[in-house]
Amino acid sequence: MIYRYILRRLGISVLQLLGLVIAVFFLIRMLPADPVARLVGMNASPAAYAQAAHSLGLDQPILIQFLRYFGLGHPAHGLLEGYLGVSWVTNTPVLTEMGQMLPVTFQLLGLSFLVTLLIAVPVGIISARRPGGIVDKAVFAYGLFGGSQPEFWWGLLFVFVFFFKLGVAPAPLGLVDPMLDSPPTITGFILIDSLITGEFDVFVDVLYHLMLPVLTLVFILSGPIMKMVRQNMIRALQSDFILYGQAAGLSQGMITRYAFRAALAPSMTLVGILFGVMLGGAVLVESVFSLGGIGQYAVRSVLAFDYPAIQGVVLVITGLSLIIYLVLDILYAAIDPRVTHS
Amino acid sequence: MSQAELLAADTGLAPTIREPRFGGLTIFAACVVGIMLVLAVIGPSIAPYNPSASAFAQYIPPPAIGAIPHLLWNMVRGVGPMPHWFGTDASGFDVFSRVISAPRVDLVIAVLANGFALLLGVPIGLIAGYFRNPATEIMMRVSDVVQSFPVFISAMILVALAGQSVVNLVIALAILYAPIYVRLTRSEVMSQKVRGMVEASRAIGLSEMAIAVRHVLPNSLGPTLVQSSVTIGFAILLTAGLSFVGAGVRPPAAEWGLMIATGANDMVLGQWWASVFPGIAISLTVFSFAVLGEMLERHYRN
Repeated sequence: MIYRYILRRLGISVLQLLGLVIAVFFLIRMLPADPVARLVGMNASPAAYAQAAHSLGLDQPILIQFLRYFGLGHPAHGLLEGYLGVSWVTNTPVLTEMGQMLPVTFQLLGLSFLVTLLIAVPVGIISARRPGGIVDKAVFAYGLFGGSQPEFWWGLLFVFVFFFKLGVAPAPLGLVDPMLDSPPTITGFILIDSLITGEFDVFVDVLYHLMLPVLTLVFILSGPIMKMVRQNMIRALQSDFILYGQAAGLSQGMITRYAFRAALAPSMTLVGILFGVMLGGAVLVESVFSLGGIGQYAVRSVLAFDYPAIQGVVLVITGLSLIIYLVLDILYAAIDPRVTHS
Repeated sequence: MSQAELLAADTGLAPTIREPRFGGLTIFAACVVGIMLVLAVIGPSIAPYNPSASAFAQYIPPPAIGAIPHLLWNMVRGVGPMPHWFGTDASGFDVFSRVISAPRVDLVIAVLANGFALLLGVPIGLIAGYFRNPATEIMMRVSDVVQSFPVFISAMILVALAGQSVVNLVIALAILYAPIYVRLTRSEVMSQKVRGMVEASRAIGLSEMAIAVRHVLPNSLGPTLVQSSVTIGFAILLTAGLSFVGAGVRPPAAEWGLMIATGANDMVLGQWWASVFPGIAISLTVFSFAVLGEMLERHYRN
């Protein structure tokens, strides 16, 4: 049963990704932007313009362009082989470039979600124990507040306070001090690589530089996550098996533990979805702190009309979120078999 | 009642827990939204300086707190030049004038985008929910694909490639937010169309289209209207974020995100006012829309 469910979900995800490829490819080309002019400059001669258009393959009919990109045309080197094309601006394969950017975003998000969960889950549980109490009111108001804030502005505010005023944080100029030698690339995750090679000064420096970006994201993410843990806990506490437990005289601690277990599954799903959303949503924080993650890559590509890079970013980010959703659905189905039957 | 039924349903004996009440907060939020709506209409006209023309005095800090009563008194008497309440930025623009003029841009974009998203999403949701056939299934799948786009990056692509203008921002946001309304309307329509009134309308010979539009639709609009408040808030955030990375409205337009971007470098050097004041404005406005959305939702649920 569960295998059929997984297969079906997998099939839907692949179709969704296919729809996305088509949508992005044609949408970009339908919009009235002129990438050739952006590349060769406004004053280029018509010959140079035509030359550039030809070398980018933009002189071909749009369907041929698509088949080429997809890997069915000639030369057959495309998406079907996992090849995302070459950036028009840097002439580097898009996948190579993203391979350097993605770990930055993953480290930023991983740390931020870890810290957020460590703070938000206990607070959410405490506030659910006495609904309507002071803690609960504060959590509820903060939940609304944190989820509706301009994170880039808070990032700047933190820079002003912690860098300019207090001097305890670094300037928002990147992930690592350029004076330090970066460790050789093994996994691409600089935090892991520096640990493997024993370059602890780099490890500490990266953490130091990630301090404010993580603070910013935790500040924003805590709101919705606290609110959600609280909601799921309250729902669990209202169910019959908890009432029975109370009637049977279980201690408050035991009750909380049972309710938390019931609240965990729906909470994890939402955290996963939030992680997927943040893959593309960390753009602004990455920009404020010049971290060089996937979001900044997206900004650079969009503003330069770099079509292969734009397509690559959208596909990779959406593909990754679809994988996260898929894993979550499968985990959920494993915990709660009722899902597979509906 | 069979044993299975007993097991299936919660007894309802466990105490229901009431949400905390926030009367004061709701009033505050309503006031903020009200002020911003008023500013969207009259902001640029009451601004003491031209919001997109330089006052030729860069980096004037805002007046010290202690000096404010004196400046106010001077203003009432009409003595001396108009003070720069929030200082001036790197280009010599009066920050106060720009902050109160920006709702004209931010709120108009957000409200229009939400309006068009409703116009686009609600009819599709109604048709997809009321008439369920292969065609409407395809419509839902298309809506799913749109919804699976990363919102910020997609908005950036649409606006940057279509040309950075207010009109294109509105269109882009409307397209990206429409699927929310498709989903909401569809699920609400599906729960409404099994009601007795639909059967009754059919019995008196109304056409399906008339039933859908005249009877099912009005009963299905509640959740979409609640969602509107939330969507408007997020549209303001998105507009500001796009302008912040240089993919939204163009300078020298008075827009909060753009103002924060122009002041960003100065902030690192200690000149905080050009970024801080527009940030406070966004922060309060979007929070207020979120509070109103939450309160409307509660009201609707009960």
